[in-house]
Amino acid sequence: MNTIIWVHEDCLHPTGPAYMAYPESPSIFVFDDAGPVMSLKRYVFIYECLLELPVVIRKGDAVQEILGFARRHSADRIVTIATPSPRLKRIQQKLAQSIQLEVLAYDPFLEFTGTVRLERFSQFWRTVEPYAMLEEPRSEGDQEVAIPGSNTNDAAAGS
Amino acid sequence: MSQDLRRDFQDRQDLIDYVAEIFPQTANFEPFVADTRGGRRAAEQLFENIDPKKYGATRNNISGAVTYLSPYIRHGVVTLREVRDLALRRADQRKDAAKFIMELAWREYWQRLYETLGGGVWDDIEEYKTGFPPDSYDEELPVNIKRGTTGLACIDAFSRELRRTGYLHNHARMWLASYVVHWRKVQWQAGAEWFLEHLLDGDPASNNLSWQWVASTFSNKPYFFNRENLERHTEGLYCRQCLHYGSCPFEGRYEDLSQKLFQIQ
Repeated sequence: MNTIIWVHEDCLHPTGPAYMAYPESPSIFVFDDAGPVMSLKRYVFIYECLLELPVVIRKGDAVQEILGFARRHSADRIVTIATPSPRLKRIQQKLAQSIQLEVLAYDPFLEFTGTVRLERFSQFWRTVEPYAMLEEPRSEGDQEVAIPGSNTNDAAAGS
Repeated sequence: MSQDLRRDFQDRQDLIDYVAEIFPQTANFEPFVADTRGGRRAAEQLFENIDPKKYGATRNNISGAVTYLSPYIRHGVVTLREVRDLALRRADQRKDAAKFIMELAWREYWQRLYETLGGGVWDDIEEYKTGFPPDSYDEELPVNIKRGTTGLACIDAFSRELRRTGYLHNHARMWLASYVVHWRKVQWQAGAEWFLEHLLDGDPASNNLSWQWVASTFSNKPYFFNRENLERHTEGLYCRQCLHYGSCPFEGRYEDLSQKLFQIQ
């Protein structure tokens, strides 16, 4: 199976999971015409990151550019890295309509696969703290409650 | 079909000129480029900045021991896991790294919320707890904030630093965001969009949800500050040179400022 790697702006790691899994595969990055409006310094920063990757850099319609790259390399599979970005997910969905798409997980911060409440950071932290700190998970009663913003001396109004 | 973009440049200026040429929309902004270089090599040089104990003690100060790794984390050039592992190795005791790792966990938290909310990070998650309806906030960011010409030394310096360097200390982001939303009564979305145009670590999740935390559309209370707080954490850097020192909009006790800014019973 011929594989190409689609590199996007959420994973510009030179030894990211796609490059590790498919070290011989050609890769492409596209500055998407539908991407966000940014000032010059942001483009320069991203471009400098790309220059350290073995990647072909293009600009245009992301889906068309990636599929064109896949065709030129006679690829029948595209590999990329998971992202929460809705715009990048839409590109993934469109690619998957034309070609096999493999989405690899990015190096996870937490070795935690359970469910966690996200209503407030304090709830999240209470659950994941031992995993983030690489400690043995503690019993509920031992856990501290972290309140967002409590680490500054600033005030928050109301109650 | 477009052509491959260049990979060979004589020097950084050659790259900058090329990027400006292929992205003509950047002409709508000032042509500033950050000293911060992109890439893994530059990120690894910053690893020596990781001092979790010192970070925990000084992080709220403008001159605190922050790592400046956020643009690299945002673009996945380095991972939260490797930064966490380095911090733990450098901490004499695990608890010395707790504050540092908690801040990394905020990034993880925002990313997980982004997975759930998607484009909803641009919508108010909850109502404002300021006593004001959403439509009482202006949609446009005032020009004097964008240009850094409010006359307030701190705010103008933060605006300038954002536009010139693509970086702001976290506390400066909070002060500036609070000023935009609560003192100038501007929708947080306008400020969030402005930050995303400039911040090298600009990420819709961390950025927008932090703005919502300040605005109180994703927190139980609006975040605000007073001059004393800002002066202390900046060692007087801005207040000393400010023409409005002693009579600026941030002057006063928290109770009094709260009365002025909000309609909270």
